[in-house]
Formats: sequence, structure tokens, C-alpha cells
Amino acid sequence: MEKPRLGFFKYSCCAGCEFQFMYFQKHIIESITSFDIVYARMLKRGGNPHGPFDIALVEGTITESWQVDELKKIREQSKQLFAIGSCAIDGGIPAIKSTMPELEAEKKVYKDLSTIHSIRPHSVDAYIKVDGYIRGCPPGERDLHEALASVLTGKKPAFLQYSVCVECKLKGNICVLVAYNMPCMGPVTNAGCGALCPSMNRACYSCFGPMKQANGPALARKFRLMGLSREDIIRKFTEFGADTIEFRRVIETYED
Amino acid sequence: MKIKVDYIARVEGEGSVKFNIEGGKLKELKLNIWEPPRFFEGFLVGRKFDEVPDIVSRICGICPVSHMTTSIRAIEKAVGFIPSLEIKNLRKIMSLSQIVASHLVHLYMLVLPDYHRLDMLFSRENPPSPPFTKGGKGGLLEEIKRLIRLKEAVNNVTAIFGGRPLHPVAMVVGGFTKIPSRDEIGKVIKGLESIKGDALDTVKMVSKLHYPDFRNNTEYVSIISKDDYAVNEGTIASSSGIEVEEDDYLSWFQEEEVPYSNAKRTVMKGRGSIMVGALSRLNIKFGMLHPEAKKAAEMIGFKILGKNPFLNNIAQAVEIVHGIWECIELLDAFSIGNYFFKVNVREGSGSALTEAPRGMLYHQYELNKKGIIERANIVTPTAHNFMSLEESLKKLVNENIDKPKNELSLLCEMLVRAYDPCFSCSVH
Repeated sequence: MEKPRLGFFKYSCCAGCEFQFMYFQKHIIESITSFDIVYARMLKRGGNPHGPFDIALVEGTITESWQVDELKKIREQSKQLFAIGSCAIDGGIPAIKSTMPELEAEKKVYKDLSTIHSIRPHSVDAYIKVDGYIRGCPPGERDLHEALASVLTGKKPAFLQYSVCVECKLKGNICVLVAYNMPCMGPVTNAGCGALCPSMNRACYSCFGPMKQANGPALARKFRLMGLSREDIIRKFTEFGADTIEFRRVIETYED
Repeated sequence: MKIKVDYIARVEGEGSVKFNIEGGKLKELKLNIWEPPRFFEGFLVGRKFDEVPDIVSRICGICPVSHMTTSIRAIEKAVGFIPSLEIKNLRKIMSLSQIVASHLVHLYMLVLPDYHRLDMLFSRENPPSPPFTKGGKGGLLEEIKRLIRLKEAVNNVTAIFGGRPLHPVAMVVGGFTKIPSRDEIGKVIKGLESIKGDALDTVKMVSKLHYPDFRNNTEYVSIISKDDYAVNEGTIASSSGIEVEEDDYLSWFQEEEVPYSNAKRTVMKGRGSIMVGALSRLNIKFGMLHPEAKKAAEMIGFKILGKNPFLNNIAQAVEIVHGIWECIELLDAFSIGNYFFKVNVREGSGSALTEAPRGMLYHQYELNKKGIIERANIVTPTAHNFMSLEESLKKLVNENIDKPKNELSLLCEMLVRAYDPCFSCSVH
């Protein structure tokens, strides 16, 4: 039987998603041999970046214009295209750059900017239609498994679509926000990590990005009552969500 | 004849090698690291000190722990916080387990396929199979099984202290937010004990690969300490006898922009190229290795200062043994106690040098009195290796100039992989 053809593409990021995929703990043999790996640069020499693909996985923020052109071609050649990881889905850490004048950030790194051609960092779905989101930084194993298994079985993937709070409750954690006054981003952050930070006695910092339609401003008001400064609140909501609709509402409210 | 490897495969990140041969002579060779910049040093300015480790861990998906420990130590120095010996030991466990995990993936998944003439370790057409079956041409079932056993045991070490092996969360400025129970620690020690044989088999496997016969001239640099095989703290030492304090780093090393590459190149002022990483560490502080690692190196007849950069792979295998044995000893000595202290912010600046899996990593920060970052500077192992790698490539091409095009380009790729570069780190 023909195996689904898979392509993995990396843009501006740490390559942690491809690393997570190519060494998928406990599933490494199945995940690699169940697919025809057509293109995955970190895993395979050679390969064909032009497709066609049954499944394309795209990691990284889009920060240069050639990436947009390539991305559109991949979209045309792919039956299903998933954004994987916070960079590709929400802009992630690289999007922190858009909280300041871009030239200011660039000048701090390079004296000669003539060879640097960066554009404003955006998520993958700012440019193309995406069939699903494998959230997390690093991507959650459960959702990665769900995406791969769905392609193999021909079903629609059911990704986790609730907040970290639900995972805390399921684990029986004491709420670090209510009980310990920690500025926890759990209420507005998509689940998938297994409520990791609250389970490790610290506040969630939103590495899985905003949950769809999360009410950021409500949590920001709570933080304000807890004594956080405006700058602190903006920092909380820009670490992993500077480029998202959900968190931009907060940023715009608290900006001078 | 122009040869281009546009996108070097099986390395971390995006880089290319291009060269031009005219009349049997190498005219020009460029290592172009075209990984797009993300401007970490730019957008870190204005962030709060306690966010920094979480942000910089995203520089690299393979060595997040190194960026975390380096930034934590630099920030703690800036605010005048001195971590306890217990905290330092835990950080060492984190770093060692990550070095082992990184070397494992590099050796088995990125390097090994070259020596078996494969594009990837295993695939649909070439599934893991025992060597005696005709079906698979790789026949690497034993190796793949061994990799899985090793990787799982060391990942568990990073995960019980950090929360997860990739981008851990419990390691913060001031210590660790949670400490595992004795039971959990007992389990990971058992796990490590069970892979000792596999680690030694890895050394044997790597020693049997046929490395290209090649020598380069470069200065090996690593950090050293009189107490241990330094990973998180020490002074800089080089194979030509230079010793430099961590705080004097900037007066000895200089970053320069390269017009054809997004990564900067770091050189030692007024000197030639330097090499950092596993081979350099072994060359400089072999005597500080765990006795078992020394034994393993002697078992395969490894000699230090051999000048063949391809042997970096053997050095990595030796470090896998060192990391596992030392982790076991540190875990055995672990005691439950207070591992988290509140850090009081103040104005200041601090720098730190550590050994990431790929070599020396430098972070420097300036904080204002509110604990906000005013300046950030990060120099990665691959920036340190840039010049040496480029010089080695030139020498390798010159020595093999008569080889056919595809063999020559594969040879160049193999050399790049031997250096184990991390292009995402180098650009950041």
C-alpha cells in the first residue's frame, strides 16, 4: 500500500519541532516508517522539496519574504498542511520583535544591515490556509500523535481545545493563581503540556500560545489587581502571543 | 567546476557550502549560514530578568538547557546571587544529560547514515532490520534499539528535574522550582545503570567507522576547572597554553560580521582559528574525565591532539560514557533540601561561559535596577567554530580535488556534520 507522503519544512525557529518529530520518543520507529519521508532536511539527505505531499508539517515563524513564496507553493502541493509549534502557529518567541520598532532590534544585532532582509514576524496562517495546529513549544506529544495518526487513518484530527486550567483540575493541582498569587497564564493558554508549570510550582508562561477566543483582558485585569505593572502585563502577553488577536487586545489596552 | 550544497542536510538549521574549482585548483569556498536571524539580542532588551532563561532556551531545540544555564548564571552574577553547591550540582546533572542526549542523536541519526551510505538512518524502504536479513540494506536494528534505550534513559534525567526534556521549566534564576522525590530519582538511576553497556557499545561502534584521513591546524579551546570536567563553570584554556578568566572573555575574543553569512564569526584576537566542542574538551581536559570514560577511550586506542576533526565523533561517544557515569554519581549524592531562593534584583552586569554539547557558549547581560535587560550578548559554539570549519573545508577540498563532484560534496557535508554545527544557535 502507498504510504502517505510527508514533507517537513523549517522556517525561523529553533528546529525543536523537527527534532521532536524526527525523534518522537516511544513512537520513533512507527512515525518514520509509516510515512514516505519525501522531505525533512534534518532527518534526510536529498529528498524532494517540491512535493506533492499528503501531509506537510511547517515549523517556524515567517520572517523573510522568500519563505512566503515557498510556503504558498507547499500549500498548493499539499493535501493537508499542519502548522507545528508556537512559532508557526502564533509567531512565538521571534514575534517578540514586533513589540519594538523592528530596525531598533535589528541594529542591536548587526552593524551592517545591508545583507539582512527580515520582514515583520508572522504566523504561517497569516499567509496561507492551515488544516490544523499542533500546538506547543515544544509541540505536545498528544497532538503530534493525533495529527500523524489522523493522516494514517483518514480521519479528522481532534486537537485539544481547552485551557491549561482544565488540565490542572484533572490533575488535582492547587491553583497557583488563586492560592499562591502567581501571575499564571493558564486560564488563557491552550492545553497540551499537562499543566506542566503549575505542577512544577510556577506560573504558566503561555508557551502553548493563546487558546482560541481566550478572554485576555479579563485575566489582565486580575493581574492588575494583583499588583502587576502595565509593563509586566504586556510582557506576560507578548512572550508567546505578540502576534495573536487574543493577546493583542490586552497589549493595546495597556500600551501608553 | 562549481559545487553547491545549498542546504546541508542532517545538521541543525540552515547553511550551505559553495565552492569553485578552476584548472584543478580551489578558487573560492564559502560557508554561508543563511538561517534567518531572529534578533534575540535585540528583543531581549526590555524583558525582565526572570523571563530570559525561558526565552533564550528557544534559541536551540537541541541544546535548550545550555542556553538556560548560561543565561541563569550570567544573570545571577549580575545581581550578586551565589547559588549553593547543591543547586550547582543539579544544573550539572541537567547539562550533562543534555550533552549526552545531543551527542546520541547527532551520532546515530545525523552521522551514522554517512558511514553506511544511507540518506537517513532508517526509512520506509529501509526499515530497521537485523544485519543478517536480505531485506534491509541498513541492517541497523541493533543500533536503533540501542539509541532508543539510551535516549529514553537520559531524557528521563532531564525531565525529572526540568519537567520536560525539551525547553525545561523548573530550572529558573535562583534554583529549581520543584525537586523530584527519592523514588523518582531512584528510578532514573536504575535507568542510567541499565544503559552502561549500551554506552560502551556506542564507543565501540563509533570507533569502527572509517573516518577520512585528514588533519587540520587549529587551536582547541574549552573551559577547565581544577575540580572537575568543567561543563557549567571554569576558566578558558587552549591547546597552546593560554588561560583566560571568564570575565576577560571579551578582551580575548572578537565577533565579526561576515558579508555572506547571517551567522557571525568569532576569532581569538590576533590568532588563528579555534575549534570548540567535544574533541576540544577531550584534548584539553582528558585527565578530568570519569575513569570509565578514560578506560573506554583507551580501549579503542583514542589519542588526544590527533588533529583530525572527524574524530570529534569519537570524542562525543567518550563524553556519552563520561556523562552517564558522572550523572549516576551526582544523583547518588543528591539530597532533598531547599533548592530555590528568592533573588533580589539590582543594577549590574554579568557574563557566563559554559560548555554546550557543541562547545563553548557565552552569554552577557546588563540589567537596570528594576531587573530589566538593557543589553544582551550571546556568542554560540558554532560562531566559535566558523573559521576553523571553513579553513578545514578548504583544506579538505584541496586534498581531494580530483574526486568526482558528488563524492567531493558528500565529503564536505561529512566534515560539516563532524563539527556538529548548530546553525539556528549561530544566527539566533
